[in-house]
Amino acid sequence: MTRTSDETTPDIEVHQLSVWYGQTPALRNVNLNISAGQILAIIGPSGCGKSTFLRVLNRMIERFSDVRVEGTVRVGSFNVLDDHVDVTQLRRAVGMVFQHPNPFPMTIFDNVAYGPRIFGMRSSTQLRKTVEDSLKQAALWDEVRGKLRRGAGTLSGGQQQRLCIARALAVNPRVLLLDEPTASLDPVSAAKIEELIVQLKSQYTMVIVTHNLQQAARVSDLVAFFEQGRLIEMGNTQEMFTAPREKRTEEFLTGRFD
Amino acid sequence: MKIDKVMDRVTHTVFALFLVVWLSVAGIIVWGTWRFISHYGFLSPILSSRWNPLAGQFGLWPFILGSLTVTVLAVVIAFPGSLALSVLGSRILQGIWRRYFVRLLMVFVSVPSVLYGWWGLIVIVPWVRRLSGTSGYGMLSASVVLGLMILPTFSILSLEAIRQVPESYVEGSVGLGATEDQTLWRIILPAARPRLVQAALIAVARGLGETIAVQMVIGGQIGGPGLLHPAATLTTQLLTDLPFLPPGVPGHDVLDFMAFDLMVLMTIIVWLQMRIGSWRYE
Repeated sequence: MTRTSDETTPDIEVHQLSVWYGQTPALRNVNLNISAGQILAIIGPSGCGKSTFLRVLNRMIERFSDVRVEGTVRVGSFNVLDDHVDVTQLRRAVGMVFQHPNPFPMTIFDNVAYGPRIFGMRSSTQLRKTVEDSLKQAALWDEVRGKLRRGAGTLSGGQQQRLCIARALAVNPRVLLLDEPTASLDPVSAAKIEELIVQLKSQYTMVIVTHNLQQAARVSDLVAFFEQGRLIEMGNTQEMFTAPREKRTEEFLTGRFD
Repeated sequence: MKIDKVMDRVTHTVFALFLVVWLSVAGIIVWGTWRFISHYGFLSPILSSRWNPLAGQFGLWPFILGSLTVTVLAVVIAFPGSLALSVLGSRILQGIWRRYFVRLLMVFVSVPSVLYGWWGLIVIVPWVRRLSGTSGYGMLSASVVLGLMILPTFSILSLEAIRQVPESYVEGSVGLGATEDQTLWRIILPAARPRLVQAALIAVARGLGETIAVQMVIGGQIGGPGLLHPAATLTTQLLTDLPFLPPGVPGHDVLDFMAFDLMVLMTIIVWLQMRIGSWRYE
């Protein structure tokens, strides 16, 4: 997809971020920065706040009831937690891919065209081009060309997940949030998604939540380790895996974690 | 004997009993229908409009038309309201409000149909009379009463239909930047459509079988054409003519034939509903 000069890949800045579900704290005073075009992998035990953190970045967190968010989050020019921010435009710029592939019950074409149509693209020539470009970018085009009118449900799980990535890419986002995108896939499909993530590197700033430490090591530039809602340590991927500064991180990475 | 053996016998016996009763009901109707058809034919009574059973004229077309018109019109009247209520109950209200809302709908479902008929008699009929200058009794009043009567059932079924739409679709849509409204119209309602159609068909079945509420406001005669004149449906005419055509009287068999026609219509609806239930998106 073509880039215009004013659509630079944004950086992300999180300052003193805290989240509560009711009275239960989910994130506590998280501070971190991601440079433009980098991939941050978030690791940590279940319930450590990984997904919560991800859902703050595109404000999907507010779909949960009784949630309170404090702090400041900036994604490019978006002051994310500001009351006046245009959530529609924010979510358009910050695409999300979920743990379970969730294609809409429509054709493959309509799935990818959904976002562009929402944002007012009417011309069928334009739509066709956008759909083709997005599917190519998501490395799915060769498998589905000529079958775009089939239901998305006919695809395999891995293909469905790539379709969801194509769907996210079709609205031309600047950031991609990936919430355990391979957790529900078989190893071969998972490897394809990983490969795709690496290919998309530098075009998008990405945050990926993963339970798979090898995956984090393979795809990311930065790794953040969360535990009980706190950011324990964050650093360059290679350093984190070879020489973590914190004892807790080391224990988690070596599997001596309770 | 072991207790589960006893239970086994009991359930089998109950089932057999049920089968016998059901078959005898169906058998009586089919037997009467057979006698009727062998005398008067099958299609000609259905397509004829002359109704004078004591004189041997059995035109059922006005009643069939009446049943279909009143039912379809009632569903058309109830549909927008039901959809709105179901969206309110499934997507807008939260927590305790949603629970009480559904309970309220349940209360309306449990109102006996004679009360809806009574309400039609003292509110709708005078109202139609004032607006149209006719007696007020007719298919329009019947449709409004029936529409209001099926509204709660229709709403609850639609609400369930919408609730069945996976939240992951909604997240996918909202996550792309779609608003809640766009998500409702473009994702949720299309995804719920087969079940919404099923809900409508159940409402149709409910309407088709309703007798007393319709009888109270439809006028009960074969009147002029149009929605504003007294009319009758298969069920109301069955009720009306029951005392005049006791068993043994010539013409009694037409009642079986009417019941049979109703059963056929119902079966078609049930069949449609099952067909739609198996719609799956590839």
